[in-house]
Parts: sequence; C-alpha cells; structure tokens
Amino acid sequence: MLIDAEQRFVKEQEANFDLQLIEKVNMGDRQAFHDLYNRHYKRVFALTLRLTANESLAEEALQEVFVQLWQKLSSFDGKAKFTTWLHSVAANITISYLRKQTNWLQKVVSFEQAGMPEQEVEMCNDLNGLDKYIVRLPEKARLVFVLFAVEGYRHEEIAEQLNMAVGSSKAQYHRARSLLKEWMSNETD
Amino acid sequence: MKQTNLDQVLDDAVAQLPTEISPKKDLWQGVENAIAKQPTQIEKKSHVWQQVTALAACMCLGLLSYQVFFNQQSNQYEAGLQAMTQTFKQEKQALLVKYSDQKALADNWQAQLAELENAEKAIKLALENEPENATLLRMLSQVYQQQLDLINKVHKPSWQQI
Repeated sequence: MLIDAEQRFVKEQEANFDLQLIEKVNMGDRQAFHDLYNRHYKRVFALTLRLTANESLAEEALQEVFVQLWQKLSSFDGKAKFTTWLHSVAANITISYLRKQTNWLQKVVSFEQAGMPEQEVEMCNDLNGLDKYIVRLPEKARLVFVLFAVEGYRHEEIAEQLNMAVGSSKAQYHRARSLLKEWMSNETD
Repeated sequence: MKQTNLDQVLDDAVAQLPTEISPKKDLWQGVENAIAKQPTQIEKKSHVWQQVTALAACMCLGLLSYQVFFNQQSNQYEAGLQAMTQTFKQEKQALLVKYSDQKALADNWQAQLAELENAEKAIKLALENEPENATLLRMLSQVYQQQLDLINKVHKPSWQQI
C-alpha cells in the first residue's frame, strides 16, 4: 500500500516535471527539449524498434518522432499523460514512416514485409525475451500485435490506423500469437 | 507445452517486456541539427504575428501617405478652382459694369449667357464629386471663357471684332 502510494507520487512528480519542460520548450528552449528527449528517447526507441523490426529504420523513425515533436509539442493539451500522448504520436509517425519505406512493387502486389532475419536478431544485443520473437513477425502481424498487446490500442483504433478491417486486425493478432507461441514452444522443447 | 500454458507464458512475457531499449548510436545530434533550422509551432505563430503586424504597419503607412498626398492634391485642385472662379467672377462683373450703358448688338445674348451659366453650374456640381477631375476643370475654364467672350462680343462694335 505504502509502495503504491510512493510509486504514484513519483509518477506524478515526473509528469509535473514533463509539463514544466514542455512549457519551456514551447518558449523555444532547446535545452529543455534535450532534457525531454533524454527522459523519453529509450521508451520511444522500444516502440519504433518493435514496430519497424529494423534497427536503422527504428533509429531514423526515432529522430523523425522528436523532430516532429519539436514542432507539434504546442498541440499537447495536457488532457492525457504526456507519455501516453507521446507514444500515440510516435506510433503514428513510425507507421507513416514505414509506409514511406514501402516500395512501389510491394504496394502493387501487396507483398508483406517479413520480420527481422534470425541472424540479425542475434546481432541485436538489446533484444531480449519476447522482443526477439516480436521483431521476427511479418509486418502486419507485428504491427497489430505491438499496438494491441504492448501499447493497449483497441482493434477498432488499429484498423483505422493501419487502414484495414477490424476483422483483419483481430486475425493478424491471432496469427501473431500463434507464431510467437510456436517459436517459444520450439525453444523450450 | 499445453496450449493454455503457452497462452499464459506469452501473456507473462508481454507483461515483462522492457519499457525502454537503448539505441546503439547517439541520435540526439541528428535531432538537434534538424530542429536548429526549425522554429517551434509557437515561435512560428509569433513570427507570423510579427509579419502580420509589419504588413499592417506598412499598409497603414501607405494609406496615410496616400491620404496625405491625396488631400494635398485635392487641396491644390480646390485652391486652383477657387482662384479661377474668383478671377472669372471679377472679370465678368467688370465687363458687365463696363458695358452696362452700352446697347448689346444681339437681343438674345442674355439667354445665351444663361445657358452658359447653367453649364457652369452642372460642371461645378460634377466637380463636387470629382474635384481633381482635370477634364471637368478644363471644361469649366472654357465655359468661363465663353461667357467672357460672349459679353465682349455682343457689346463691341462690329469693326472692333475684325
């Protein structure tokens, strides 16, 4: 009980600190923006890496997120927690960024991007546990799984964001779960 | 492993996912370079307001200058018109006094003069709306001259007119 209260207090303190930084950033304070970046870039990178399943793209997407954040921060109205709002903005930007990377051939034949190759996963030191499997998922299944299971979006929201039917979003989620369970099962066997 | 167990293991693994992952590179430099060239939305708005204010100031200044110039010009036209009218009235009055004892050579000269005076009134009325209209001013000047010519013509002996 005491620990809960303490954790809540710390979270509130952090949220207030974010708000103070945002106020300064909105006045054009670049140092405050650097502080805000330092507080959140690792969280944003976790999201961009899971969504893109590609380290280089994830790094570029992270930079894109913060560059756009610099311009869009004044639109943060404080109704939601900053971290929640930031994750939502980061997810939108990363998905748009991924779409831009899709070449014309993939668009024409609706060819789905495969996930990160196993060899590459092994080289990616920062990936542990389930992340090693998530990045191997095919693109659509991975996007739906990350947004639904990790980020807590509803299937209706995901369907709108990824321009697919709600049923497809649910189907991709089950496909992702099946693949993940299969790979986890193979590892334990 | 049973299906239900696998589901539970997967759910637990999702719950244990790290909230943070560190990129291998320092990515701040790229962000800093990019934002160095870009103002924030609020700075942009402030720039827009500065531009709008500057534009409004320029427009006011322009309008003021135009009005001053226009008023000056308008005043010049009005002064010219008044001087011309004043001169004409004096000349006309002097001629009428000069020829007051002399019989006119034509009987209907006063009717002709009245017509010219009506034309003079019409032109003056038009000049009230367009005081700087050079054509109207020229017409008025001609009507004045015609009136003076008429008074002279009808009172001078014919040999003087040759």
